Amino acid sequence: MKLTRRKLATVLASATALAAQQPAPTPAATDDLKAARDRLQANARALATTPIPMATEPAFQFKS
Amino acid sequence: MASIGTDTFFAPLSDLNASLKAREFSAENLARAFAERLQQLGPRYNALALPLPAEALRQAREVDKDLKRERFRGPLQGIPYGVKDLLAFAGQPTTWGAKPYAGQVFDYTATVIQKLSAVGAVLAGKLSMVELAGGGGYRFPSASLTGPGLNPWDRTRWSGGSSSGSAAAVAAGLVAFAIGSETSGSIVTPASFCGVTALRPTYGLVSRHGAMALSWTLDKLGPFARSAEDCGIILQTIAGKDSKDPGSAGRSFYYTPQYARPMKDLRVGYAPADFAEWVEPATRPAFETAIGVLKASGLQLVETKLPDFPYGAALSTILAAEMGSIFEPLIASGKVDELADKPQIAGLKASLELPAKDYLKAMRLRRLMQEEISRLFGTVDVLVAPGRAGIASKIDQPLDRGGGGGAPPKDPGFRSIIPMGNLAGLPALVLPCGFAENMPVALQVVGAPFSENTLLAIGREFQSHTDWHKRRPPGV
Repeated sequence: MKLTRRKLATVLASATALAAQQPAPTPAATDDLKAARDRLQANARALATTPIPMATEPAFQFKS
Repeated sequence: MASIGTDTFFAPLSDLNASLKAREFSAENLARAFAERLQQLGPRYNALALPLPAEALRQAREVDKDLKRERFRGPLQGIPYGVKDLLAFAGQPTTWGAKPYAGQVFDYTATVIQKLSAVGAVLAGKLSMVELAGGGGYRFPSASLTGPGLNPWDRTRWSGGSSSGSAAAVAAGLVAFAIGSETSGSIVTPASFCGVTALRPTYGLVSRHGAMALSWTLDKLGPFARSAEDCGIILQTIAGKDSKDPGSAGRSFYYTPQYARPMKDLRVGYAPADFAEWVEPATRPAFETAIGVLKASGLQLVETKLPDFPYGAALSTILAAEMGSIFEPLIASGKVDELADKPQIAGLKASLELPAKDYLKAMRLRRLMQEEISRLFGTVDVLVAPGRAGIASKIDQPLDRGGGGGAPPKDPGFRSIIPMGNLAGLPALVLPCGFAENMPVALQVVGAPFSENTLLAIGREFQSHTDWHKRRPPGV
């Protein structure tokens, strides 16, 4: 099939229209994501307030 | 044969078992009665995820055959119960309370269900839950495949999460007991809001094989029941070593109330500010009375402070890191967007961005916390605090309402006891202790790892002087 410039323009316009129909993140979703990231960063700041001795290893086991 | 009346649905395990042994009613009739009630009333509270009436009747008929031959398998034989819908039951849907997993079916059964089946307990159905047990941080009670958990005491209020259906079903007498889970508050909160007794066991005491993983180092399974006594009986059955659970502590639990230490020998740490300032004013009279009951039992209440650490931040960081890893395929596939709660979706997505250094810092701090908490239990035997600071919230109310932003309290008391207890893997017993605005309030008693018998002894003592745990919601 021969692709004329007019047909090519139509195809490209359709693709652009389809892309425009893809759900973009809503402002609310963006706000929620920012809030979630902010919480992670606030937690990191809170953790930084307690000094940890170098020899302290992560706790992966519990004993009575 | 005796008829199965409303009282039967609220009877303690020992009474139900005695009636079955005495052939006052058959296990099949008991299972049918509970199964019908669960199917009829479960949806009223959005508590039912999956009824299993055929399976329940099949198991109950086996129990009747055993009873006829006097093959007694213990106090749970023939007792109908339910499980939170994060436990696998072979061949049946296990939704984890979330739309992306609505069609999920496993070909194996969770160890806890296997253990209960082995002693003749009858699984009547699977119970609703907050989607993914709340992983990501939900903002509304509606964050569930089955809708918001409605509280049997007032259906305009939340039943609590994430073990919403487990608490509501026990409160409304739809099952004799239920199994729920806690990563951070998911047993303590719904038990407190619904006025039922519940036990969060020591980390590793109960196998999590077949349970949805949310956080490998925090997840625990435990019972919701009518009394501390019943919790002890159930825990004895479901506890124990399991090679299929890498977190298994390799220990059994034997419920031994006969060896309980005298109440007068026990030192109970508490923070007066919790009961005088932190809790909502309407709940204070109930808590004051409850503290009075503890003192009258001979327990030595001593003012105590928790070691000063950022418990909430550490727990949130650990949970975010582990759940991010667990649910990465869900997030990467985009199916995470099918969840009901938008802030929860965002929380899951953001969890993938957590730096490894933050996770390790939290886990190193956790080590320091455990050491300090271990020292604390050298000075007191248990800690007591409000289960929750207030009564169950309205179902349309955001759960983060009023949280944060204000000046820190002068005396933090035990406000961090839920993240602290979960970070250190400590057991907790929830004891209904009164009402405010016609809604239940509860105490939580927290002990050192593997001190469940001490907690249960205190619970038995408390419940021998009170009847809050026997109260029934209106209209059931």
